Amino acid sequence: MNEPFIDPAVFAELQAQAGADFVEDLAATFADEGAELLAALRAAAASGQAAPFRRAAHSIKSNANTFGARALAEQARSLELGGLPGDSAAIDSLAALFDATIAELRRHAAG
Amino acid sequence: MDETLRFGHFEIRPSSRDLRVHGHEVTLGSRAFDLLVALVERRERLVTKDELLDLVWPGLVVEENNLQVQVSALRKLLGARVITTVPGRGYRFTANEEHARAAGAARPTGPVGAEALRGLGHRVLVADDNKVNRLLLARSLELMGHRVASVDNGRRALDLLRSEPFDLLLLDLEMPELDGLGLLEAMSGDPALVEVPVIVTSSVEGVGPVARCIELGADDFLHKPVDATLLKARVAASLEKRRLREQQRELIGRLTALLAAPAESGAGVPQAPRRCSAALLAARLVGLGAMPEADDAAAAIELAEACRTLLADAAAERGGVRVADAGDELVTAFGLGAAMDDDAGAAAAAMQTALEMAALIEGLNAERTAAGRPPVGLAIGIALGEVVAGRGGRPGEPRAVCLGAALGEARALSQRAEHHGRAIVVDPELASAVQDMVRTEVLEPDRVHGVFFG
Repeated sequence: MNEPFIDPAVFAELQAQAGADFVEDLAATFADEGAELLAALRAAAASGQAAPFRRAAHSIKSNANTFGARALAEQARSLELGGLPGDSAAIDSLAALFDATIAELRRHAAG
Repeated sequence: MDETLRFGHFEIRPSSRDLRVHGHEVTLGSRAFDLLVALVERRERLVTKDELLDLVWPGLVVEENNLQVQVSALRKLLGARVITTVPGRGYRFTANEEHARAAGAARPTGPVGAEALRGLGHRVLVADDNKVNRLLLARSLELMGHRVASVDNGRRALDLLRSEPFDLLLLDLEMPELDGLGLLEAMSGDPALVEVPVIVTSSVEGVGPVARCIELGADDFLHKPVDATLLKARVAASLEKRRLREQQRELIGRLTALLAAPAESGAGVPQAPRRCSAALLAARLVGLGAMPEADDAAAAIELAEACRTLLADAAAERGGVRVADAGDELVTAFGLGAAMDDDAGAAAAAMQTALEMAALIEGLNAERTAAGRPPVGLAIGIALGEVVAGRGGRPGEPRAVCLGAALGEARALSQRAEHHGRAIVVDPELASAVQDMVRTEVLEPDRVHGVFFG
């Protein structure tokens, strides 16, 4: 069985801490912000700007950890530490993982 | 500031100059109202007497005595503890504002001005460019009861810190415009911000950034995602450290003022020893040992100190020189210096001080009664007589020295005041000297006259 995209224990703890309604809104914010961060990641990679690339990857990692999205966080961390990639494959992979993670996150948040 | 500010038994609306005490509208003189507003608006800090004089009597040269009169009027009306005197430095508004959450002030949704959040818990600023992190930190802090403002970069954080007071900063490191380290550097070079506690929250890896933050003055470092329990503990610890630092600074200020007191009151103490006529005022707090606070050493000391500060301040305002000071007794002399070189002047100053002391303690008692606590007793004796006065003490620690039978007589009179259940009694000579000021009655022929007060 594949690993879940969201660690249910971390997510449950977040809901207990901040409230389920708040976390549902927060997840929606992550979906919006994450999409913008992926776009920023692609733009930085295309223009060869290492600092914005690292910052965007760092933010995705940070947000993913908040929701217990360990796989997404780990992949974002690899980009953060690895610097500008030679091609778009790593970003495409991260984007696909992001979409899958957000879908699972929405299901969790909706209860 | 146009909102209604509530402080328990009273509330004030500065914009419409309304004041309500126990729900009843109260009419204050314009100077007293201006003074109250000036203190309320600066309730985060001590306000010097010069600053208050400028604020309440702009453009006018006014004697400090006028300020004391207005402060006393406010204390009588609102309770003695509403305005705390820091001897030699100024006043501080110390009533607690009610922590009522404003309707509609739900979760933070972006940069929020702290001004709009006045009146709710500790003020905490969150600086984080990541919206998810910012929202979650703000939410966690609000659930702890704090007031939260949030910004998305270091530059905005610095601007807000310089324009509004905050008790704590939660700071991210990776931010545009001015990053966390840059903000810490700016704060460390700004005397007004250097003591704002900072907790850095970041998901940067390695110990290097953590060490750099600590070097730049950060109190603590929390790795993201921030654990809510850990956040609560670290925030509480940082706020407590700040409270202790402020308490320490206030104590040092008070201690400095106390040490400087003889020098400050130099005008009242003769440079060279001399024999002169003086009015000696002995003010004694009665029954402190039987107060509910007596079972709690810290509370007992706090109560005694609050009372003693009121008495000492009233005496200092009228040129009284402290010649004896115990936990529950204060003896001050009037007329030791050239400024008050006649019996009438010394007697009048002592009597005005006694009336002021009684009014201040009455104000304090009104507050205690409202809180279901017994009143503090005050027994004042004033004697007029010849004394020898001069300066004593060690170099750097000067103090006034006053010798004479009047000193003992004033103390004995304060005992008679307690015996007769009167706030103020005086000897016949002093009663004669102040007959135009107050009404007195003979309680013990040729020895004790009671003063009608209130």
